[in-house]
Amino acid sequence: MIEILLLFPVAAAILIFLFNSRRFSSMLILLYAAVFLGISVMFCFEPYEFTRYFRVDQLNRLFLIILAVIFSGVALYNLGSMKGMKGMKGAEEPGRSHSFYSMNILLFVASMIGVILSTHLALLWVFVEASTLSSSYLIYYSRTKSSLEATWKYLFICSIGIAIAFVGIIFLSMGLGNLDSLFFDDLQKNAALINPFWLKLAYPFMLVGFGTKVGFGPVHSWLPDAHSESPSPISALLSGTLLNTALLGIIRINRVMDAARMGWYTQMLLLVIGFISIFIAAVYIVNIRNYKRMLAYSSIENMGIIAIGLGLGGAGIFAALLHTAAHSLTKASLFLTSGNILKVYETKYIGEVKGLLKKDSLSGWLWIFSFAGIVGLPPFPIFLSEFLIIRSMFEGGRVWLAVIFFLLLTVIIAGIGRAVFYMTGGIREGDDISLRAKGLGFYSYAPQIIFLAILILMGVSMPDFIYNLIQSAVQFMGV
Amino acid sequence: MIPLIIILFGVTMLYVSSASRIESYIKALNMQGFLLLLLVVFDYGTIHIESFIFLCFETLVVKAIAIPLFITHIIRKNGVYREVDPNVTSRFSIIVTSIIFVMGFYFSFWAIDKVDNIRPFYFGISISTMVASIFIIITRKKIITHVMCYMMLENGIFLLALSIAREMPFIVAFGMLLDIFIAIYLFGLFVNKVQDTYSEVDITKLTSLKD
Repeated sequence: MIEILLLFPVAAAILIFLFNSRRFSSMLILLYAAVFLGISVMFCFEPYEFTRYFRVDQLNRLFLIILAVIFSGVALYNLGSMKGMKGMKGAEEPGRSHSFYSMNILLFVASMIGVILSTHLALLWVFVEASTLSSSYLIYYSRTKSSLEATWKYLFICSIGIAIAFVGIIFLSMGLGNLDSLFFDDLQKNAALINPFWLKLAYPFMLVGFGTKVGFGPVHSWLPDAHSESPSPISALLSGTLLNTALLGIIRINRVMDAARMGWYTQMLLLVIGFISIFIAAVYIVNIRNYKRMLAYSSIENMGIIAIGLGLGGAGIFAALLHTAAHSLTKASLFLTSGNILKVYETKYIGEVKGLLKKDSLSGWLWIFSFAGIVGLPPFPIFLSEFLIIRSMFEGGRVWLAVIFFLLLTVIIAGIGRAVFYMTGGIREGDDISLRAKGLGFYSYAPQIIFLAILILMGVSMPDFIYNLIQSAVQFMGV
Repeated sequence: MIPLIIILFGVTMLYVSSASRIESYIKALNMQGFLLLLLVVFDYGTIHIESFIFLCFETLVVKAIAIPLFITHIIRKNGVYREVDPNVTSRFSIIVTSIIFVMGFYFSFWAIDKVDNIRPFYFGISISTMVASIFIIITRKKIITHVMCYMMLENGIFLLALSIAREMPFIVAFGMLLDIFIAIYLFGLFVNKVQDTYSEVDITKLTSLKD
């Protein structure tokens, strides 16, 4: 099964290149999404292993199913935007570019599956690098001056991050002594034998290295550029899935650190990096002018919240994993809706978007509901995860942390709320509100509606299936 | 002999930090490639023959010849302005780089008390090279300089990886994957897309995306 997940996209990419047809490539992506979703649901019920290097376990099946659901939504949305995803003035789209776009989406998803399923640290690192390379073309897709700038920054900053993570892997290897194996299982079993000096030195390098891809502050600077310049389905994939996969790398290393009785060290660093991320997001979101960049900063914030959850330990871990799932779905819904807004208004500036509810009411309501989801209003599950995080802060006697956390979140909610209500609200006199955007159809709304429905279901009465997925991942992490 | 080679490697970084012409950076890259080759030959003559050939190929062909040649070609083709145009004076640069090297050595001699498998020269110089490369990237404006300093960062990593090449040769091989990034950057500059869009290739032009 894993072999299908990894080989299908490669074969499909070759076919797309040969046929060079828009309809064919969109259908092939949809077919792959369906196969992927089916297989990952199956994996939730029975574990699977493909060679020593790839395995489905209780932890990564959660990440795999999140990826499958988001990718399926993006593939559906893709059908609706077959008539061109430019949506921007001045963008050009030469002959084969859609084929390259489709090929890179497939390879990008395959590399993320590789990251999720790897059982070997160096292999995981290689797939992280592959995901960077395959996604860079997607960010560059609209071929504007600013997308070129975003791609260059993305590649350069992430490649330095990847190099730093590699230094961490070398340090870890130096501490292994006679172990000579970088399989996570071996590392964890023999964690007590690893030299603590090297382990302590290696961890910050890996945290910063993989953290660059996760979008932790202060090494986040590629994220707003890349998210705002790429086509909206790609922004949804980047924010909803790419950040999670790099996070999984950090979680795997955390398990090794825990086994080596250095959990306190990782928790301290995660708390620091989490608060820095939320602080940075709060500073920028207050006066944001571009709604796609606003969503990108919100991703930095949410990754920070996840880091804090992991850093708190105990109930915080459950909250962090719940938050990961909920954030991915909500953010994908927001980014896909932002694609609709971009098509209707042809601008990314908040100040130039007004009266969304009148102009395209469905997108307007999706925008409002997704906003409610991302800021954690009940019944959305982010409410639950943030509540659990704050509760575990109180239980751990860290009241002052909870106060800072509250304050920063309030600032962020105010910033996003102001923008969202400005955009959906009143309309100026003389504006033509009858005009409906071309190219927006069933597929431009269906994925977001499905995502929001899953979220509300999770928030109102958590289905056993999802609860067990998260709970078993928490148990796997040894809490 | 081996400490001498490693010290020479460190000296190339000091040279780069004070250099003001792009050609000097290329010479330094060239030099580093050859020094790494010498290290492999003198220090790793006893490792597996496949690993040995692979390491020689990587250092001589890729690091010492192919990439510097390609960069020279790009500079001629794009007519990049020859001065490095740093944000700070070269005196400041060389002082900071020297401090980085002192700290690197201090750290590695401090670490030698804690663990036994450290080789202070390898460790100190490679750590300092990595930090100094990042410092030079931060203080220079030209994109091509950034790419070359990334290459130096990678050389520092290669030096670090060499110190465990006997136990885990695959780690060094994985390090070569970082060359793919260099290839992509150079390819991007080569097909001239960056140059077409931005008349002078300089990060001060990359400011359209901000908050």
